[in-house]
Amino acid sequence: MKKKRKEVDLSTLEGVITFFGSHHALKAEFVLKKNEIAAVIIPGPREISPNCGVAVRFDYARRGEAVKLFQEYFIHYEDIHHYPEK
Amino acid sequence: MRSCYFDNAATSWPKPRSVMRAMEAYFRRGGGNPGRSGHIKAVDAGRVVLETRELIAKLFNVRDSSRIVFTKNATEALNMAIHGFVREGDHVVTTSMEHNSVMRPLRFLEDRGARVSVVQADPEGRVDADALSRELEKNTRLLICTHASNVTGTINDIEAVGKLCRERSVPLLVDAAQTAGVIPVDVEKLSCDFLAFSGHKGLLGPQGTGGLFIREGISLDSVMQGGTGSLSDREVQPDFLPDRYESGTLNVIGIAGLAAGVRFLLQRGVQSVQKHDRELLALFFNAIGSDERIRTYGKGKASEQTGVLSLNIAGLSPSKVGDLLDRRYGIMTRIGLHCAPGAHRSIGTFPDGTVRFSWGLFTKKREVLYAARVLREIAAGAD
Repeated sequence: MKKKRKEVDLSTLEGVITFFGSHHALKAEFVLKKNEIAAVIIPGPREISPNCGVAVRFDYARRGEAVKLFQEYFIHYEDIHHYPEK
Repeated sequence: MRSCYFDNAATSWPKPRSVMRAMEAYFRRGGGNPGRSGHIKAVDAGRVVLETRELIAKLFNVRDSSRIVFTKNATEALNMAIHGFVREGDHVVTTSMEHNSVMRPLRFLEDRGARVSVVQADPEGRVDADALSRELEKNTRLLICTHASNVTGTINDIEAVGKLCRERSVPLLVDAAQTAGVIPVDVEKLSCDFLAFSGHKGLLGPQGTGGLFIREGISLDSVMQGGTGSLSDREVQPDFLPDRYESGTLNVIGIAGLAAGVRFLLQRGVQSVQKHDRELLALFFNAIGSDERIRTYGKGKASEQTGVLSLNIAGLSPSKVGDLLDRRYGIMTRIGLHCAPGAHRSIGTFPDGTVRFSWGLFTKKREVLYAARVLREIAAGAD
């Protein structure tokens, strides 16, 4: 709440993770960032998933690490998409 | 006149300053609806809720914080577990020390075809795990036991009850309203399948907060259905946690305060809270001394109870004592039956009840000594 919003260059983040619920999306963003994997919460693109209001845009090249972290931290995700910004 | 608050078992007061600051900051700068949109205020509100869940998970040793759902108080959490789990024809075992937040939903379900066995506690308010074991039947659906009594403060051996429930494959619901934040609560050590807690007592949060831990693998119906911000294209309730049990907008400002309360506790350490309560109890017992006109209930040992103590003064009704304490001495206690008639029957104080003192983290030694002195004075005057 206190932090100023950091501008992230979304064009370098080509992956989008979708979730069923926002608890998992927000926790995923937190865990990825903590492990120095670039991640940002975005409104969920409807063409990928209607499930949750939010999704996580992240560094697609590091998806293997991300999946391992999700298992470790009990984060349930729907899917990981290669979905560069248009 | 002095003013001493001894009603922390009803709701803790005062709260740490950080609780008020967190709530103000949330309203001033946040204020969005969590899980409903991708804009900054909604996401920040979601982060407040997530952070609080994580802090509570840490406090209770819950590995997956999504297994903790928020409610408005422990009563709602208990109702959620009982009504969502017990069906017609099911058998439930519970104890005579339960609060009406357990007994009333059970009596309601009894009228609709459930069977309820109530195991009597000893006159000091303790429930024996073997006695509970004897009541278990083949179709026992649930065992419900309070971690500590809100009348006597007597702590039950939930580890033994949990072990028994695991052996007999009976799910265990623990009412931790009086123990969360007061003594260590570890869902693995207790082997419980549900843990209901209040946010505004030992956890030092504001009123309107509480929650329920639901172990993975437990199938619990949702008592309420509604909007969750997830699966919005469907008209059926989501089956994943926490959304399944959190329909409608959460009390985010309260949850923001609760986070600050739990953070305060984690920094201080629950064991140091327990030590503080025990020191005050020992001091109180010592200051009352062997005054036979003051009858205390419970085990009479600081190591076997929380900072809750029930007593009566010979020749005076609890309501008379409570009134004198409040009006003449500025001492706030809770008198009567404490929403637990069964507990008072067990300890032999039904229907008049007792005068209950309950202290907390911010209670001072001098306040406890003052209360003891006043009680002796009142007892002497009653002769």
